[in-house]
Amino acid sequence: MMNKIVLICLFLLQIGQGVAQNRFPKPDFESGYKYPEIHYAVANENLLVTIDILLLVALMGIVAWAVIRKRTRKPIIWVSVISVAYFGFFRHGCVCSIGSIQNISLALVDSTYVLPFSVLLFFILPILFAFLFGRVFCAGVCPFGALQELIHIKSYTLPRTLSIILGMIPWIYLIFALLYAITRTSFIVCHFDPFVGFFRLGGDIGMILFGAVLLVLALFVGRPFCRYICPYGALLSLFSSVSIWKIRLTDKSCINCELCHNACPVDAIRAPYINKVNESRQRGVKRLLNYFVLLPLMILCGAFLMRLISNELSRSHKDVRLYEMVVQHEANPGEALSVELDAFYGQGGDIKELAVKAEKIQADFNFYATIAGILIGLVIGITLIELSVKRTRKLYEIDHAACIACARCFSYCPQYKIGNESGNKPL
Amino acid sequence: MEQKIENMNENKNSPIARRKFLRVLGTAVAGGSVLAISGGLFSKAKGSEVSHYWQIDPQKCTQCGRCETDCVLQVSAVKCIHANKVCGYCDLCGGYYRSNVKELNTAAENLMCPTGAIQRKFVEDPYFEYTIDESLCNGCGKCVKGCSSFGNGSLYLQIKRDLCKDCNECAIATVCPSDAITRVSLDKPYKLKDE
Ligand code: SF4
Ligand code: SF4
Ligand code: SF4
Ligand code: SF4
Ligand code: SF4
Repeated sequence: MMNKIVLICLFLLQIGQGVAQNRFPKPDFESGYKYPEIHYAVANENLLVTIDILLLVALMGIVAWAVIRKRTRKPIIWVSVISVAYFGFFRHGCVCSIGSIQNISLALVDSTYVLPFSVLLFFILPILFAFLFGRVFCAGVCPFGALQELIHIKSYTLPRTLSIILGMIPWIYLIFALLYAITRTSFIVCHFDPFVGFFRLGGDIGMILFGAVLLVLALFVGRPFCRYICPYGALLSLFSSVSIWKIRLTDKSCINCELCHNACPVDAIRAPYINKVNESRQRGVKRLLNYFVLLPLMILCGAFLMRLISNELSRSHKDVRLYEMVVQHEANPGEALSVELDAFYGQGGDIKELAVKAEKIQADFNFYATIAGILIGLVIGITLIELSVKRTRKLYEIDHAACIACARCFSYCPQYKIGNESGNKPL
Repeated sequence: MEQKIENMNENKNSPIARRKFLRVLGTAVAGGSVLAISGGLFSKAKGSEVSHYWQIDPQKCTQCGRCETDCVLQVSAVKCIHANKVCGYCDLCGGYYRSNVKELNTAAENLMCPTGAIQRKFVEDPYFEYTIDESLCNGCGKCVKGCSSFGNGSLYLQIKRDLCKDCNECAIATVCPSDAITRVSLDKPYKLKDE
């Protein structure tokens, strides 16, 4: 009983003092008691980060050498194994290049955000390599790509139209990832990462299931995550499509045998096509005009719609949600406090300050969501145009935006042996 | 057919020549943007002394319990740490016993810690030493709450550097109601109370 009273008294005392310390004096030990020594381990992060970067460059270099100089696939398999083992299971896939988009964009708009040097390198090096040699990062250096690469058994091709439409997802995902990152709402790419749970052998069960579905798909469809989800892959495809040294199937002339086309897991080899519809000049101009009307229309629609829902979107920000909770609580104070409100009032929450904060976030969302809408409109518009444009091609050609430099196609080419034996110098 | 297309290649206005020009333009734009981004950010980016590692500010933490449940790891990287130099070595420890126990004995139903991670050792009358068995602690913060409410606040939660996966965005930080989790630099990776 006595104890209880003491406890209650202490509790009252505590309320009066806020976060009190040293309610009880430091004991004077007479028995020569010594405080236990405690050391907290700090892993040698600097060393690991250095290894990360060196390995990243070395592996990308190997892939570039293998696909552009040697036209051979074997090193790529080894690179994939190393990447899955090191970046995946050992380093647990954090920070990866895909997630770094968010850090970079945040650093660009918010000067108070400090960008670690390693994250910048993780972001810029694969892009630089894509600009020089194509998507050599995707070939097997990215642990996510490597994982899908290693388990891939057989390629079934999806219908082209479906593939193009699904191909919009990475761009839209990228736009949303940027929107949520620069408003400091959350890093959705990290949040909805399907593979990191595998590498960590545990995690959010929903995401692991999603990852499992993707992996099962990856057995039969080349790189489902890379092609239809990964926002960083979308970015890399831009640079890859204008890269300086391009991956070429063979130095000899193509004999239109179709073998490489069947070998490519990501359907990056475009078959020859003869545009039989010989358009008259007038019709061509008309079609072009249609596009010029369509594109701005899509952009306007996108901007308008995104602005419309921007307030709704802003509610995923923690502070906006908290503000709503506080307003609701002030309206009927009888209800029990949630964890958030408890913390807010416990810290002597200032409602006015919070309101200002929430308003600022909403204004940010209004602005950035409109820009995001413009970009989404652009993506959809360009995709629609792409669906309707037919280009004449006389030979099998690699679409460098889609090619992930896996080097499967080379050995299928009947011209491969001849080319390689006679001192092939693609560079 | 072949002949025709080859002829078209020489024609300046042919779609193929135009495409080639566009590609060169694209290469230039892409190269320029790589340079611009890296140039712009290299000056801003900082080396290893930069704040990069997640840590809890014990002054802000309200022991909401999410540290136990929201870490990406199955058993949270957050552990209870005991600052012995701040501790009062009380017999009646607010972090050890539940607040309204009937009898003060060490039966499990009287103890705060759900996993039995707090070890109690008699030192000398009337002092008891408390230590945390880290392999048992799940970071629930119950003892921390008890200790900060009734005691010296010597128990507190920290993210263990050797366990934490150093996520790009700490999953607990996104749900922490008190904004207690922020980045710190590797030079001072803990916010210890007895230093
Ligand atoms: S597309 Fe994305 S996930 Fe796939 S390999 Fe490239 S970066 Fe990795
Ligand atoms: S190297 Fe490119 S084009 Fe060739 S099979 Fe691989 S992804 Fe397809
Ligand atoms: S989530 Fe935040 S408030 Fe809750 S226990 Fe962890 S640090 Fe403390
Ligand atoms: S009560 Fe919770 S935080 Fe404290 S030692 Fe036990 S498991 Fe760890
Ligand atoms: S950074 Fe990741 S591993 Fe570390 S405490 Fe936060 S959620 Fe857990």
